Parts: sequence; structure tokens; C-alpha cells
Amino acid sequence: MERLTPRVRVVWIALAIVRATIFGGFLVGAAIALMRTDFWDAAPSILVPAAVAVAVVLAVVRVLIAWRRYGVWRFDLRDDDLYIERGVFTRVKTIAPYVRVQHVDSRRSPLERATGLATVVVYTAGSRSSDVAIPGLTPSRAEEVQESLRRLAIESAGEDAV
Amino acid sequence: MRSLHPASVAVRSLSRSLNTGFLFFVVGIVVSPGGNGTDLLSVGALVAIGIVMGIIYEFAYYRRFRYELTENSFDVTSGVIARRDRELPLGRVQNVDIRQNVVGRILGIAAVHIETAGGGQTEVSLQYVAEDEAHRLRRQLRSGASAETSDAADSSPDETGAQATESKREADDEKLLFEIRPHELAILSVFTIDPGASLLGGIALSFASGFDPATLLPTDRIAGLPGPESGLLTLAWGLVLFLLAAWVISAALTFTRYYGFRLTRAGDELYYERGLLQRYSGTIPLGKVQTLTVSESIPFRWFGYAALSVETAGYAPGQSDSRGTESAIPLADADRVAELARAIEPFGPIDLEAPPRRARERYAVRYSLVVAAIVGGAYAVARYTAVVRQWYAFAALVVLVPVAAHLKWSNRGYRIDDRYFLTRTGFWRRTTKIVPYYRVQAVLHQATIFQRRRRLASVTADTASSATLLGRAATAYDVDADRGLEIQATIEERLQNRLRARQRERTVERWFRDDESPDDDPSAEPGDGG
Repeated sequence: MERLTPRVRVVWIALAIVRATIFGGFLVGAAIALMRTDFWDAAPSILVPAAVAVAVVLAVVRVLIAWRRYGVWRFDLRDDDLYIERGVFTRVKTIAPYVRVQHVDSRRSPLERATGLATVVVYTAGSRSSDVAIPGLTPSRAEEVQESLRRLAIESAGEDAV
Repeated sequence: MRSLHPASVAVRSLSRSLNTGFLFFVVGIVVSPGGNGTDLLSVGALVAIGIVMGIIYEFAYYRRFRYELTENSFDVTSGVIARRDRELPLGRVQNVDIRQNVVGRILGIAAVHIETAGGGQTEVSLQYVAEDEAHRLRRQLRSGASAETSDAADSSPDETGAQATESKREADDEKLLFEIRPHELAILSVFTIDPGASLLGGIALSFASGFDPATLLPTDRIAGLPGPESGLLTLAWGLVLFLLAAWVISAALTFTRYYGFRLTRAGDELYYERGLLQRYSGTIPLGKVQTLTVSESIPFRWFGYAALSVETAGYAPGQSDSRGTESAIPLADADRVAELARAIEPFGPIDLEAPPRRARERYAVRYSLVVAAIVGGAYAVARYTAVVRQWYAFAALVVLVPVAAHLKWSNRGYRIDDRYFLTRTGFWRRTTKIVPYYRVQAVLHQATIFQRRRRLASVTADTASSATLLGRAATAYDVDADRGLEIQATIEERLQNRLRARQRERTVERWFRDDESPDDDPSAEPGDGG
């Protein structure tokens, strides 16, 4: 079983903080707007601090989830299939046979480029969440994974993958 | 190269000129001179221009449209302004549909739609060709596709000869599998709820009432009642009328849709025909079946009826414009459905393994929470309004919890067959899915936080059928977590075994073919054709 590069936590935590900031901004903004306008006359004075507290708690929870996600994530290039284990709340274990691989992408978002990481995306013809992505790989490892997936997919290709 | 049926110009331009005519009608209204009022003459002239343009376009379309069925591909050259050459390898054809509306039936023309696995929409539409040409194309595409997949090189390029032998073979091996009986059609029509019908029902009602809903209400009778009750009664009366109209229309729609439903088997394909006013027919290649779904909805299950649908990668249940086309059998005795499903995929008996009992506890907890939420909501409503007074009366719903939990639990199950993965779920609409291991694309083992508390998990065998919002994948819900891992490993292992077996078969076949071209059909099992 292979773990992801520990650095991927930086990407996930950064994303979690950005998202929590946006959400918290809306929440606190709404609270301030409620206080300033006379839309809600008897607005309690605790409203804005409460909104800030909720936003902070949510941000902390998101960061913890991002941290935990790294602990759960595992993948393995087995003989006949790709095995992936992930998910903090809903634990998902996916088996994607190489025969079914349609194509393989390697993807790098700006944040991933900044941290020197890459994501490999595997597409199948399946209909249900079976387009699997392996994040948090070093570019060289991503290339290796992509290459071996490609090779394994070709080797095992019997006939049409549908 | 062949062209479309000449009458298609007339039919196409009729529908086209309705569009363009309306467009130019709007344009005419907007730009008509004078400002205060529309000039009938110029609007009429613009509409005429629109219609003429539509006819010219359709004539050009007809002139430009050419198609040809070659030995291993179907080529279409089309397009008036932007030209397009399209080549469809015959081995990749998933479904061939023929549709005929009322006008088409009078003129003897039909539309042919050809589906492949890729893309979101129909790959080739021939609108319109002559009726017998449509059926000839269907047969040839079918035989071409099967010849292509078994790599036989004996399809004769001599068209007339091929056609003659083809039609002879057609008569030989086209076997009637299923024909809907009048009482089945009646039950189907009465109990099917067509979602589109409610809208049509509303429209019909508003027409019937002359756009004044009040005329339909027996206000003189209700008026005697005091106070707010009459308002409620009026509302209820309106609702009843609306439901009645929707139900009648739904029944009529379903009746015309499935009237004269026949399913035949020819070689390695199923062929269905249906429809009273609009005739639909199409093929379902058995070699490309991804999933079989046997569904038993609640009123039908009481009568011992079931429905069967066959999913291929071309399209699947819920594809909007071909609603129902994929259903192999709309309604029949459950035994007959099982028999027919086995004729398509020879799966074993459906004695399913039930999920562990602690899954039932989970459902009970879930439904208790729902009841608690309802009571809480009722309390809130009672606290702040005067609509509800005895909010605690809703707590009586709690007696339903064990029943509901048990029904949910007892309708779920799965089975690891030799060659198929069977799953069942749903009380109101019980669906049993049959997935050949060979068709599995990925296997997912999922456990939510609540499932993990009870060491449960759901195992999904994903296939390539283009599942939509309602078309759910084959999932064994709430099995023991460790057993789930076992199931997952087994499915993957059997998939690999099937693949290796097929690889061997193909190799052996190739040896034989190199030796001498064999006469017998080497396609091994119906469920496994490429």
C-alpha cells in the first residue's frame, strides 16, 4: 500500500482554509448586515461574535478533516487492478481493473504546482463515481504511475472496454 | 450512396416551416410598420418567407444527405452549411431504433436512429427513409455488427444476394418472445403514473373549464357550508379533479405507448415494436447487455407482475427522448419475466442473502429519527400557529417504524452467482439488478460513518450503462463490512477469470479460423459477446 506524499496536506489544508474563509466571510457578513440594518429589530448583540465563533470552529473542523484525509488515503497498483482507499466520513474502497481504463490524465492545479505535486486521473467507462483520481504525487511519481497504468491497461486490453 | 426518402422533404419542411414560420411571425409582429397595430399583409408575407426558407433548407438538406452501408461501417455525409462526414464502425453500433409517427405511417416513411456508446446523444439519425428501407438497414446493421464482432469475413458485398439470404434467415430465426396481452396492457395503463401527464392534465382542465377554474366547482353545493371549511373543500375538489384528469391522461398515454408491444429475438439481438399512433421499434444487442433490471412496483407486485429492462451502453432508462424504449418487457407475469431474463442472461436462482439483522436496527433508528423530526416540526407549528393543536398525535407514527424498517430490510439482498452479481432493493419499487461479472467497470466498497458504527458497508458493481438520476447502479446495501470486502474481491477475481476465459476462447477461435473457416457460430454464450 502506498501513501501519498505528506506534502499533500499543505494543499488540502490551504484549500480548506480558503473555503472556510469564504464561507465564514459570508456568515459573519450576514450577521453584521443583520445588526446594522433594521431588518431584525431585536437582534441579540451576541450575533456577530457567535457567527465568528461558528466560522472559526468550522474552519478548524475542515482543517482537521483535511489532515485526517491524508491518514486515510492509500492506493496500490496491484497485478490486475488499481486499489484505492479514501474518505474520512464515508470510507470508500475502490477496485478499478486495468482492462477498464479508458485513458489516464495527469493534472496539476496552481496550488499543486506551487507545492510540487501532481494528480493522476483514471477514466473508466463506468457511470458512477468510478473516475478515480490519485492526488498528492510527486511529478516524477505521477509520471511513473501514469506510465505504468498505461502499460498495464494496454497489456490487459482484451477487447472493447465497454 | 443512398439518399433519404423524397417524402422526407415534405414532412421535414412541415415541421421546419412551423418553426421558421412562427419565428418570422414574431419578427413580423415586432417590425411591422406603423407602430400602433400590426400590418396583416407584411406579417403574412414574412411568415410566407419563413415557410419558403424552411422548405428550401429542407430541400437542400435532402439533396445533401447521403448514407451508405459498407461492409464494416456506416457512412453518412450530411449538412447544408457545415458539412459533416461520419463513419460508424459496425462493431460499435449499440442500438438501432425505428420511429414512425402518424404522418410517417400514412406516407410509409420512418426515422432511423443509431446509437453507439460514446457521446451524449444519438450518433446518426436518418429522417426519413422508406419503411422497408428502415427495416432493411436495421437487419443489415445488426448482421454487420455481429459479423464484425465475431470477425467473420464472409459478409457478401453483393447487396441483393445478401439481402435475399438475410431476409430468409430473418424468417427462420426471428422468434416471438413476448407479446403484451390486453389485460396486462390494461393493468399497466391504469396503474402507471406518467410524470408528464400531470402537466397535460392541468392544461386539459383549464381548457375544459374555459380558463375559469370556478366553473368546475360546484360552488352552489359548497356554499351552504360555513366558514373556512368551504375553502378547504373547494381546494380538495379542485385537487381531485386535477388528479382525475392527470390519471386519465396518464392511462391514455401509457396505453398508446405500449399498445401492441412485441419482443422478438433474432440471432443475437432482441427486437421490440410498440405504439398505437406512433410506432417505435428498435434493437437491443444481447452481446452488449450491461445490466438486467427486474422491477416490481407495488401495485403490480400485488398482482404478481413484473417488468424487465435491459441496459446497454447506448442508452439507459431515463434518457429523455426515448422514454421507455429500453424496457424489454413493460409488464408481464413475474415468472415469465424471470424466464425471459434468463433467456438473455442465464443466471441462476434468485435466492438472495439477506443483510445482517443489525442493518434492520439501523433502519429502525433512521425512521425513528424521521418520526422525531416530524413530531418536532409539529410542535413548532403548534407553538407558533393555530393550525395544529395536538402535535403529540404525530408520535403515533412510531408504530410504523418497526414495520417500515422490516420491510426495507426484507426487500434487500444480494447474491454472488457463478457469473452474475445480483442485488435487490426497494419496497415500493423493488428492483433486482443482474450484472454479469464480465461487464463490471469498477467495484466500490463504501461505508458511511453510521454504517461503520455497525460494521456494515455497501458494495457497488459499476457498469458502463449510462445511468442517470434514477438509474441506480447495482448495489448490495448494508452487508457485513468484512463480507463486503470478500464480495468485492470475489467480483474482481471473477471478472479477471472471465476475461482470461474469453481471451482463451478468442485464441482458440483464431487457430480454427486460420485452419479453415468454420461454419458453426463460435459465439459462445449470449451474455458475453464483445
